[in-house]
Amino acid sequence: MSETRSAEQTQYLTFHLAREEYAVSILKVKEIIEYGTITIVPQTPPWIRGVINLRGNVVPVLDLAIKFGMSQSLITDRTCIVIVEVDMDGETTVMGVIADSVSQVIDLPPSDILAPPAFGTRIKVDFLHGMGKSDKKFFLILDIDKVLSIDELKITATLPNSQGEMTALKELSQEGT
Amino acid sequence: MTITDIDFEAILRTFVAESEEHLTRMEEALINLEAHPDDQKSLEAIFRGAHTIKGNAASLGFAKVGEFAHAFEDMLQRLRTGVLSVTQTRITLLLRSVDALRQMIPDAITGVEDLQSNQQSLFNRLTNADDNEMPTAPAPRRNQSERRTNLVGRRREDVQAWIERAHTVRVDIAKLDRMLNLAGEIAVAHGRLRQVLETTVRQGSEAWQAQEQLERLSVDLQEQIMKVRMVPVGPIFRQYLRTVRDLAQANGKAARLGLEGEDVEVDLSMVEHLKDPLTQMIRNALDHGIEPPEVRRTNGKDPCGLVTLKAFHDGASIVIEIIDDGAGLNRERIAERVRLLGAAIDPDSLSDQELYKFIFEPGFSTAEKITDLSGRGVGMDVVKRNIEALRGTATIDSRRGHGTTITIRLPLTLAIIEGFGVGVGDETYILPLHCVRECLTLPDDEGHHANRCGVIDLRGAPVPYVRLRNWYALPGQRPARESIVIVEENGMQAGLAVDHLYGAHQTVIKPLGTHLKNLPGIAGSAILGSGRVALIVDVGSLMREAAHATPLNANQEW
Repeated sequence: MSETRSAEQTQYLTFHLAREEYAVSILKVKEIIEYGTITIVPQTPPWIRGVINLRGNVVPVLDLAIKFGMSQSLITDRTCIVIVEVDMDGETTVMGVIADSVSQVIDLPPSDILAPPAFGTRIKVDFLHGMGKSDKKFFLILDIDKVLSIDELKITATLPNSQGEMTALKELSQEGT
Repeated sequence: MTITDIDFEAILRTFVAESEEHLTRMEEALINLEAHPDDQKSLEAIFRGAHTIKGNAASLGFAKVGEFAHAFEDMLQRLRTGVLSVTQTRITLLLRSVDALRQMIPDAITGVEDLQSNQQSLFNRLTNADDNEMPTAPAPRRNQSERRTNLVGRRREDVQAWIERAHTVRVDIAKLDRMLNLAGEIAVAHGRLRQVLETTVRQGSEAWQAQEQLERLSVDLQEQIMKVRMVPVGPIFRQYLRTVRDLAQANGKAARLGLEGEDVEVDLSMVEHLKDPLTQMIRNALDHGIEPPEVRRTNGKDPCGLVTLKAFHDGASIVIEIIDDGAGLNRERIAERVRLLGAAIDPDSLSDQELYKFIFEPGFSTAEKITDLSGRGVGMDVVKRNIEALRGTATIDSRRGHGTTITIRLPLTLAIIEGFGVGVGDETYILPLHCVRECLTLPDDEGHHANRCGVIDLRGAPVPYVRLRNWYALPGQRPARESIVIVEENGMQAGLAVDHLYGAHQTVIKPLGTHLKNLPGIAGSAILGSGRVALIVDVGSLMREAAHATPLNANQEW
């Protein structure tokens, strides 16, 4: 199904994250909102920044920078939250991802999408639809369904990194009893 | 689809739903009739049900259903006039015929008119009433999923109550959920409006009066929507009349189901989650609790066992009890099993209640299954999981030789919680009000250190507390004065040290979504008047977690 969709659809939203440019299919983007108050959810992995109220629905907000192994996103005036609809085992789940800034919506016919190289990209090839090019620079097109799949989020949750140590330690202390 | 198509579909739907209603009532009455063969009222009720189904089916052109219902009615007529007597065999025949009708109606709608072989043989037996031979065919399994979809929203309606029925409406649960959500959002929007008014308009002005009126109305609206969502437990309970009868017969036992508190209402969304646990517990009661009739007679008990389903309100909870007058739990056996499973605790040091809790452990039930020990436990972890999903608790009480009582405690509703708001830094947390006992200022000597946990002196008693700021590793500075909220859950008292106390109010519970559900210590979330999201603290699980943290870790400053 993803093939047919990518054949029909040619628009992508590009955004910046830790000085890198990424793109996500516009069909996955529900809306873009200003970065507002986020409620911290304790005892979650660091890349879950918390939850927000999106018109009466409680929506989790994730920091992909941390998930991709970079340092936590700094909040500036241009920081926004891209609300995406993720397909999860056939169910649509709404989530927010933090973007340092949103750049543009670009037309990208399938013929212009390049296969990612075997290695060298900052994030796992599994997460990518491919690569696009604008202003002579490459950007990574994310397969957001895969990036935010339940399995993916679970696996990352158990990997302690610099920010994750606290949670991991806490878990250990509970296991020890 | 043309209008007439839609109309006809609506008629069919009503027919299916109503027939199901009648069949359930007929089933109930049949079981009652078995216990009291002279009960004319039950006979009349069954007769009326069959008669209505016959009439409706015939008018819709479902000839076979009509014929079958007619044969059913004929047989009842003969029981009514005393031509035939009420026997267990005949009750079984009639019950199976109810099952057959239950199958035939959807069949007829999908176009299958012909009787299946088992239905045909039932039909023959109904028309040939002298056939007293014990039926051998196994009872067809009832289609549970079908019953489930049809269960909701039906009550009080009776064959005679055509007029009343014209005033009731069947509503999709999703629509009710949406209404409740909207009511919650209105409350949130209203909260914002009031905040604006507080800073801009003087009190007592027209704008304020309008605001107050709005508040009253929106609270009323929310209450009304909540009421619509409540359904009596009676119809849910009554389904088990049949289960108990069939299971008892299959196990060579005699048992009946007693019902108490059928009028007690529960939230619609609970009904689904209650079915599996109730089935499981009733099955356990019949498998392991109720003794065979001869054993019961030897022990001086009524040979017919009694399982009671009882519902009542207790404070902010609904309590459902499953009581059997069977053999009771075998403490020694459970203790033995606990020891075998290698639990760190010495079972002998535990009270009965504490020991029986092990029955709800998943490993426990599997172990029992393998060794085929006669004791409870098979699938009790399922019960526990379902009940916990409803934010409820389950406890067991048992007396050897006298029976077992399982008590399930559930919150009144799943959608709204009476909460007590507390603040830590910028965050607000909501504690379920029913757990909150009192609020105090944190004593100075406890305010000095910044430990995650500590102990305070509450009128001479040592009470442990958790400092939420440190426990949740929240950023920011502690204020000079902290407050402590004393909470109680499962008979255990503890304190929660927080920065601010915001007081009690009703909040609509919002789910946290796929990724964040099942977080320890967090029961859900709610949207505050300011539009912010607040987390609802699961006090019981937080206390358990704190109890498991080692003192070293507990006091470590993060």
